[in-house]
Amino acid sequence: MAPRTRRVAWGLAAIITLAGLIAIPYHDPESPGARIAREDTVIFDLDRSIKNPRNFNWLTPGVKRLHGAHQAMWEPLFVLSYATGELEPWLGLQIVGNDTHDVWTLSLRRGVRWSDGEAFDADDVVFTADMVRDSDAISAREAIRFKAQIAETRKIDSHTVEFRLQKPNPSFHVENFGVLNFSSFLVMPEHVWRGQDVGSFDFYPPIGTGPYVFGSATSQRAIWDRNDDWWGADTGFRDLPQPKRLIWIESGGQENRAQLLRRNQLDAGQHLALGIFEAIQAKNPNVIAWHSGFPYGWTDPCPRQLEINTTVPPWDDAEMRRAVAHIVDRQQIIDIVYEGSTVPSKSMFVQYGAMQPFIDAVSNAGYSLPTTANVDAAHAIFESRGYRLDDDGTYRRDGEPLAVRILANTASAETTGTVDLLVEQLQRAGVDARSVPVEDGVFWGEVIPLGDYEMSYSWLSCGSVNEPWASMSRYTNSAIAPVGERAPGYNNTGRWDTDATSQYTAIVDRIGRLSLGDPQIPGLVANAYQHLYTEMPFVPLVQASKVLSFNTTYWTGWPTADRFYVHPMHWWNSTHLIIHGLERADAGKSSHVK
Amino acid sequence: MSNRSIAGVPLSYIGNRLFTFFLTVLIAASVIWIIPRLSPVDPAEAMLGRMAAGAGFVENADQILVDLRARFGLDEPLWKQYVVYLKNLMVFDFGVSVANFPTPVSQMLAAALPWTLGLMIFSVLIAFVIGNAAGAFMAWQETPRIWKIAIPAAMVFTSIPPILSGLLLMWLFAAQLEWFPLTGSYGLFETPGLNWEFILSVIRHGTLPALSIVVVTFGFWALGMRGLMTTVQSEDYVQLAKAKGLRPRYILYRYMIRNAILPQVTAFALKVGLLVTGQILVERIFSYNGMGKLIYDAILNQDFAVIQGASYIVILMTAASVLIVDLIYPFIDPRIRHGGGQ
Amino acid sequence: MADATGMGGVVSDADEKAARRRAKRLKRFDSPWMNPKLLTGAGIIVGILLFGLLGRFLWDPELVFIGSAPLNLPPVGFENLRGEPGSPAHPLGTQSSGRDMLALMIVGAPNTLFIGVIASLIGMTIGILLGFSAGFIGGRTDDVIRVLSDVMITIPPLMVLIVFQTSIGEIGILMMGVLLSGFMWQSPTRLIRAQVLSMRQSGYVRMAKLSGASTFDIMFKEMLPNLVPYLFGSFIAIATTAIVTAVGLETLGLGPQRVPTLGRVIYEAIDSAALLRNMWWWWGIPTALLATMFVGLLLVNLGLDEVANPKLRKV
Repeated sequence: MAPRTRRVAWGLAAIITLAGLIAIPYHDPESPGARIAREDTVIFDLDRSIKNPRNFNWLTPGVKRLHGAHQAMWEPLFVLSYATGELEPWLGLQIVGNDTHDVWTLSLRRGVRWSDGEAFDADDVVFTADMVRDSDAISAREAIRFKAQIAETRKIDSHTVEFRLQKPNPSFHVENFGVLNFSSFLVMPEHVWRGQDVGSFDFYPPIGTGPYVFGSATSQRAIWDRNDDWWGADTGFRDLPQPKRLIWIESGGQENRAQLLRRNQLDAGQHLALGIFEAIQAKNPNVIAWHSGFPYGWTDPCPRQLEINTTVPPWDDAEMRRAVAHIVDRQQIIDIVYEGSTVPSKSMFVQYGAMQPFIDAVSNAGYSLPTTANVDAAHAIFESRGYRLDDDGTYRRDGEPLAVRILANTASAETTGTVDLLVEQLQRAGVDARSVPVEDGVFWGEVIPLGDYEMSYSWLSCGSVNEPWASMSRYTNSAIAPVGERAPGYNNTGRWDTDATSQYTAIVDRIGRLSLGDPQIPGLVANAYQHLYTEMPFVPLVQASKVLSFNTTYWTGWPTADRFYVHPMHWWNSTHLIIHGLERADAGKSSHVK
Repeated sequence: MSNRSIAGVPLSYIGNRLFTFFLTVLIAASVIWIIPRLSPVDPAEAMLGRMAAGAGFVENADQILVDLRARFGLDEPLWKQYVVYLKNLMVFDFGVSVANFPTPVSQMLAAALPWTLGLMIFSVLIAFVIGNAAGAFMAWQETPRIWKIAIPAAMVFTSIPPILSGLLLMWLFAAQLEWFPLTGSYGLFETPGLNWEFILSVIRHGTLPALSIVVVTFGFWALGMRGLMTTVQSEDYVQLAKAKGLRPRYILYRYMIRNAILPQVTAFALKVGLLVTGQILVERIFSYNGMGKLIYDAILNQDFAVIQGASYIVILMTAASVLIVDLIYPFIDPRIRHGGGQ
Repeated sequence: MADATGMGGVVSDADEKAARRRAKRLKRFDSPWMNPKLLTGAGIIVGILLFGLLGRFLWDPELVFIGSAPLNLPPVGFENLRGEPGSPAHPLGTQSSGRDMLALMIVGAPNTLFIGVIASLIGMTIGILLGFSAGFIGGRTDDVIRVLSDVMITIPPLMVLIVFQTSIGEIGILMMGVLLSGFMWQSPTRLIRAQVLSMRQSGYVRMAKLSGASTFDIMFKEMLPNLVPYLFGSFIAIATTAIVTAVGLETLGLGPQRVPTLGRVIYEAIDSAALLRNMWWWWGIPTALLATMFVGLLLVNLGLDEVANPKLRKV
C-alpha cells in the first residue's frame, strides 16, 4: 500500500500544482510599492472597475475621478455644505456675481502649488475654462455644464478670474465650483496640458494640488501616497491629513463588500442593503453608518419618482396620471424595499434642511401626495374614462386592457425591487402592468433621453439641495425634444408640454432670475408646483436612503449624523473633507488610556 | 457498443469523430447566431447607448450609429454577416463587450478561462479518483461491510446539482464558521503572480467551489464503477486469477478496475456538458472569476457579445472534451484498436 | 404532470394488487415494479405533487405576492437577526419582500416539476418517433438521425437557453418546457434506436413482418410495449436533466419572472445576500425541496433500471 499511496500523493500534488499554475492570470507588473502599515492606510470601496487605469483625462468618459483622483489629488474650488447651504472655500477664497448674475468674479487662495512645485494660479483656471469652452471632444457632465454657460473667462490678476456667462445664472458658482453633486469643475495644470489634444491626451502620470500623489493603478485598485510637501500644511490652510496611504479597491458587489468590512479590510464601503448592514454590524460592531441606530442610512440627494411619458396614450391624459398616483402606496415601498428606513417624499425635492422652506411651501399649499393609496379614487377615474373592470380583474376599454410597461434599470436591487412592487400595486388595482428590465447603459443612454418608455423609475428631479430652481427647471418646456430625439441633460424626458407647462415655465424662469435666498421664492415655488400637482408629469415617491458604512477599527472621525461636517458620499469630490477629518484609531485609544 | 458503426479501420473512426465534432460546433455556432436575429433589439444601438451613458452625452449620434453598423458589418446582407461571423469565430473574434466598451470579448474570455479550467480539472480529477475508488471498493468482496452501506447512502447526493451543494457549503463553511471566504477567487489584496500568498489565497478560495462539485459528482463515478465491477467480477479471467491464488488486492487493481474503467470514460464524455454548466452555476454563486461570473455579469449587463462568445467557448469546450475522450478511447480499449468491434 | 401521476398509477393499478397478494405468500416472486427504490422514489415525487396540489386549497396561494406578509420572518421556533420570532401565520417564514415561504413552495414546486414533465413529454415523443424511424427505416434516415443526436447530445442546453433568454426576453413556464424539449430528445432517440435494432432481429418482429403487419403496427403495437420500462427510465432521466437546466437558468435570474419557481426563489435569496443575513430558510427550504425532488427522481430511475435490467436486481 505504501508505494501506491506515495504515488497517489505525488499525483495529487502534481494536479494541485498544475491547477494552481493554470489559475494564475497575467502577471501584474504594478506592485503596491513600499510597505505602509495598515494602521496608516485608508481603504475605500470602488463600485466599478477602472477601465483605463493609465488615463486621467477626466474630460473624456470612463472612471477617471472617483478612484481617488478627485477625492485625494484634485481639489475643488469650494465645497457646498449640505447642512447650511454655504460654500466652504478651498482652492477658491470667494466667488461673487453681479446684480444680473451674468458676470462672476473668483478670487483664488494664495500659496497653492501643484505637486510638481509649479504655482496654481489664475492662468490655470483661464486655460482650463477656455479649453473646455472650445473643445468638442469633452463629455464629462461637469465640463458640458460649464461649456453650456460660459461666454468668456478673463484673468484680472494672478489670483482673480472673471467669468462672463451666456445668460444670467444665479447659481453659477454652486453648480460649477461647489461640488453640488458628485464632482465639480476641476482645474487642470496649464503647464502640463498646454498644447495637448483634449480628446486624446491621457494625462498620465497625473498631478494635482491635493495632499496625495498618484502611486499606481490597475483595473481593480488605485493607490495614492501622501505628499508631505503639500501646500496646505505650509500655508496653514489645514494640517497634513493623518493617513499616509489611500487605496481604492473594487470590492465587487455587496457580499464581497460586506466580507471586507467584516474583516476590517475596508474602511469606507459603498451602499449595503439594510439587512446586510445589520448582519455585518452584528458580527463586527466597529462598522458604523450615518445614524448609529435604525434607519442607519443617509438620505441620497436624489429622491425617487415614477416618470411618465406624457405623450403616450392613455397616459397623455393628466387624470389618468393622477389615477396612477392614487394607486401608488408609498408607505408600502418604504416598508418593503427600504425595510422601513426612509420617508415618503413630500414634494419633488430632497428633504434636506436647506430645502425645508420650499417643501413647506408646497405642503402648505396642499400639493403633497398622501402616503398611502386611494385605489377607489383611481377606479373612479378609470370608469370616467370608459374603462370597465373585467372578470380577470383588469380594466378594459373596447376589449383593450389598460396596460403599462414600467422600465427598471437593472443596475440596483432597489430599482428592480421598487418596480416589482409598483407592478404588483398596479396589477391589484386592475392595471395590467409589466416590469421591463433595462441595462444601465441602455437605460440612461437610450430609453430615458429618447423618451422611449411609458413609465420608468428613476430620479430625474434630482438637482436641488439648497434652492428649488435646479430641480424645477428640469420640467420646463424650454428644453423639450420630440420623442426619439435626445432630451438635453435628461430634462423633461416625459415630454410634458401643455398650457400648464407654459405657465409653470414662466414661474420657474422668474425664480431663476432671483438671487438665492430671495423671500419671494417659496411663494413662487408653490405657485409653480400647482401645475406639477394637477398635471402629474411624474409621481414623487420616496426619499432614498443609502447605507454607506465606515469602519472604525483603524480610523475614526468619519462623518455621521452626530458629527455632520460633510456628507458621507466618499466617491465625491467633497471627500477631501472626510480625509482631513480622519484620526488614527489607536491614537484615540492611547489618549483614553491616559 | 456493437450497435455503433465504429467497426473497421480506426481511420474511419477518427474521421467519424472529427466530423461529429465540427458539425456540433457549426450547428451550435449557427444556433447562437440565429437566435438573436429573431430579437428586435439592435446591437449597434445598444452599444451606442452604452457609449452615450459613459459619455454623458453623444454628439451626432446618428453618424456614430451608421459607423458602428458598418464596423460590425450590420449593414451587410444576412448571409454575408453569417459568413463573416463564422470566419471570426475561427480566430476567436467575438467583437467588443458593450458593458466594458471597447474591451474585446476574446480578452475577457481569455482572462476567465484559466480559472474555469483550473477549477474544473481540479474538481473533476478529485471526483474521478475518489468516485472510482469508492465504487470499486463498494463492489469488491473484501470491503468491510460498513463501507458497503455508507457509500451508497452518500451516493444519493449524485442527483443534486452542484449549485445546491454549493449553497449549503457556502452557508456552513463561509457564512457561519468563516473558515473559507464567501466569494471571489483570490484575496483582493494579493498581487496575482507566483507568490505564496497568492497561491494560498487561490487554494483557499477554490476549496469550497471545488468541494461543491466533488460532493455531487463523485457518486456518479462510484455508481458506474460499482455496476461495472459487479459485472466484471463474474468474468472468467477474474475467476481464473483467483484460482491461480493471486492476492485479492492485486486482482482488484490489475484486472478488475482496469477493465471496468473503460465504459466509465465513455460515460464521462456524455456528462461533460452537464459538468461544465453545473460548474458555471457554482462559479456564479461564489462570484468565482471564471466563465460563470463572466456570463452572469453579461446577463445583468445585457452584454450580448460576451454571452455569445462565452456560450460558444463553453460549447466548444464540451465538444472538444467529448472528442478527446473519443480519440483516446481506442487506445485504452484494445477492441477498437484491433478493429474487432463485434 | 399527468404523466408523473400516471406513472404512479402504473405502479399501483396494474401490478399492485396482484403483486401484494403474491408478495405476502411468496416473497421471492414479487413483481419487479414493486422494488423499494421505485416505490420510495415514486412516493417522494407524488408527495411533492400532492403538497403542491392540495396545498393550494389548504394554504393561501395569494401569499406569494410581494408585500402580502411581514418581511424576513424566520420559521416557527426560530429567531431572525433582529430577534423577531417566527409566527404560526407563516410557519416556514417569509423573505425580504414579504412573500410567504410556504406559499412559495406550494406554488413553486409543481411549477418546477411541470417544466420537467413538459420538456420530457415533448422530448420523449420526438425521441420515440426519431428512434423508431432510425432503427426501423435505416439507411440515410438512420445516418442523419444518428449524427444529429450525436451532435445535439454534446451541446449544453443551458448555454443555448441563456442566449435565447437574453436576446428574446422573458418566457413563461410552458415556453420554458418547450424550449428545453429541444435538447431532451437525443437520449431517448439513441436508446430506442439501439433497442429497435436489436429487436428487429428477434422472432416476434419477424413473425409480424411475415404475417403482413404494417410498419406502423409493428413499431407501435409490437415493439413499443416491450420498451416501456426503458421509456419510463428515459422519461425520468430527461425530466431530471430538464429540471436541472431549468433551475440553473432560474438561478441566473432568467426564466419566468412573476411566476414563482424554486430556482427563482433561490435566485432572489442569493441576490439579496440571504447567506450573509443568515436567512437560511429563504434559500435552504427550496434547496432542500429540490434536493428531495432530485433524490426521488433518482430513486425512481434506479428502480426502473432494475425493472428493465433484471441482472441488477441480484446486487
